[in-house]
Amino acid sequence: MALVYELVWRMLHVLLHIHRTLVTSLRVLLRNWNGQTWRRAVAALLTPASLAGFPDSQKKLVVEISKRARGRCSRPSGCLVEKLPVHVGLLIVEEQPSYTDIANLVVWCMAVGISYVSVYDNHGVFRKNDTLLLEKIVRQQDRLGLEDSKYNVEFLSNGNTVQQDQIVSGQPVVNVLSPEDGKHSIVEAARRFCRTVEQKEKTSKDIDVPMFDALLRESKNIPDPELVMKFGPVDSTLGFLPWHIRLTEFVSLPSHVDVSYEDFLVALQRYSTCEQRQGK
Amino acid sequence: MTRRSAKTFTGSRPRTYASVTASHEEEDVSVKAMSWIREGELNLIERLSANVLKAGPVPKHVAFIMDGNRRFARKKHVDRQEGHSQGFNKLAETLRWCLQLDIPEVTVYAFSIENFNRSREEVDGLMELAKLKFLRLLDERDKLEKHGVCIRVLGDLTLLPLDLQQLIAKAVVATREHNRCFLNVCFAYTSRHEMANAVREMAWGVEQGLIKASDVSEALLSECLYSSNSPNPDLLIRTSGEVRLSDFLLWQTSHSCLVFQSVLWPEYSFWNLCDAVIQYQCNHASIMKARELHQDEQRRQQLEEDDHACVAELLRHHGNGKPADGPRRQEAVAEYAVRREARVKDFLDALRNKRDSFLTQLADSQATVA
Repeated sequence: MALVYELVWRMLHVLLHIHRTLVTSLRVLLRNWNGQTWRRAVAALLTPASLAGFPDSQKKLVVEISKRARGRCSRPSGCLVEKLPVHVGLLIVEEQPSYTDIANLVVWCMAVGISYVSVYDNHGVFRKNDTLLLEKIVRQQDRLGLEDSKYNVEFLSNGNTVQQDQIVSGQPVVNVLSPEDGKHSIVEAARRFCRTVEQKEKTSKDIDVPMFDALLRESKNIPDPELVMKFGPVDSTLGFLPWHIRLTEFVSLPSHVDVSYEDFLVALQRYSTCEQRQGK
Repeated sequence: MTRRSAKTFTGSRPRTYASVTASHEEEDVSVKAMSWIREGELNLIERLSANVLKAGPVPKHVAFIMDGNRRFARKKHVDRQEGHSQGFNKLAETLRWCLQLDIPEVTVYAFSIENFNRSREEVDGLMELAKLKFLRLLDERDKLEKHGVCIRVLGDLTLLPLDLQQLIAKAVVATREHNRCFLNVCFAYTSRHEMANAVREMAWGVEQGLIKASDVSEALLSECLYSSNSPNPDLLIRTSGEVRLSDFLLWQTSHSCLVFQSVLWPEYSFWNLCDAVIQYQCNHASIMKARELHQDEQRRQQLEEDDHACVAELLRHHGNGKPADGPRRQEAVAEYAVRREARVKDFLDALRNKRDSFLTQLADSQATVA
């Protein structure tokens, strides 16, 4: 009898796998088909004498939207999204990272006005190849014609901190994160506090949530992400900033490879419509 | 009448609750509704599905964010208290389904420290509901013993009214020795408070001279959390469609399967649970791989830290840092690690005693009559 159940179980998971593969292929097919139609429509809207070709029309769209986002947007209807996150985390849970696509995502974030973007994977691959990522980001910015000084990126990797005033001044920050920035940083902060207790500078009763929060931000001042876009089939955060994600909204996308600007906007839209009650 | 109520409560269709709220004439029904243990069996299709699922990997520990009680109440045009009450009934039912799926441990988010920000009326109502539930639990001690249910409450109990603290302590102490299945209720809890509290406990250990600051590690921090007696959850389920963790088990779920379901908690069904378990099974291989990677990294870091600490110790005691050759150094580091582990064990024993005696004293203390 146990064998029968096992057989049925295997069949169930084979069917699920087939279903997932079909859905992925359909999505790619649909986007390619839709993409052509949509791009033509958009190109016609934005530039009457439209040029053919994907990169140009996408470029025009991103520049157009970034202008609207960057400008004083008083009318909600004129804004891209109702509510923009300050910090967006790009959590890649796929085996093969595509630096070009990640660079696209980073540049799109900055174009719509998001001032802090972090990039994470649980192998620390992006941290190891951070110069490659920066190159790709700069290249994508050039391609989209966003050479405006507003888009000079503050690039962080391996713990170089950003002070609060730098975020406020509007210069976008890209931070490359790894599991070290998660539990390991929490443990480091705990160790630092215990050392002050050992040296009789503090007592155990002195620690509370605001104090520990400040302690954590002493070495790496990473703001809490309001939104995490997770790319890939694994339904887990895989060690991404455990302390910081207490109120973070998670939006899952199937893959970052060939991710489209439309997908990105849809994810942002989903964030902007969520309601946080904060316990009340 | 009893048979009818039994049928009502073991059904897995959401419509069950409409019939429950309608049948106010049955006192017996509403009393049964408050029970922590739901007797009952799965029907044939449910049993077959459970057996199929159990052929694959099944989570050993599932955490629930039981969201949607108030929205359910609005939807059914009943008051909030009723929504919370139905939510509790659903918890009892879900526990039974978990046991029938061979999931021995469940953690639930019952009351967040942030929930104290709700209206005085609602908070008082929830405290009263909690008191009734824990009183009921103490009444059902025999049933809990029969099923081997161990109840633990995680959170800062000192934030709660004293009489509720005493009831909780009695319930936890009464079921302490049971070990067939485990229900952890997070009450007056947030994950950040839990982590800060763990750091406080480690600092206390340093103050008492039990451990050194250099002994602080990821493993030690995990042992100082409220959830130290449980393995990390394999699966976290949040109902009502929200896609955030809301300060729940942030440390423990770093490598758990997260499933967000749009069903409202009081309408949760056996099939929703099966859906979540299937998603866990689909993610199982990748998550196991990620966990192993993390554990390897932890081991590597511990070795590195032991090496540094050992060298620092030798420097302090003998004036010279590094033992000359490789094997001697390895030996010194291994010896250091053994001593560190002994210190940590003594500290954790002391911590356990501190927590146990706090609860025992609370359980034995007389309730102050309001």
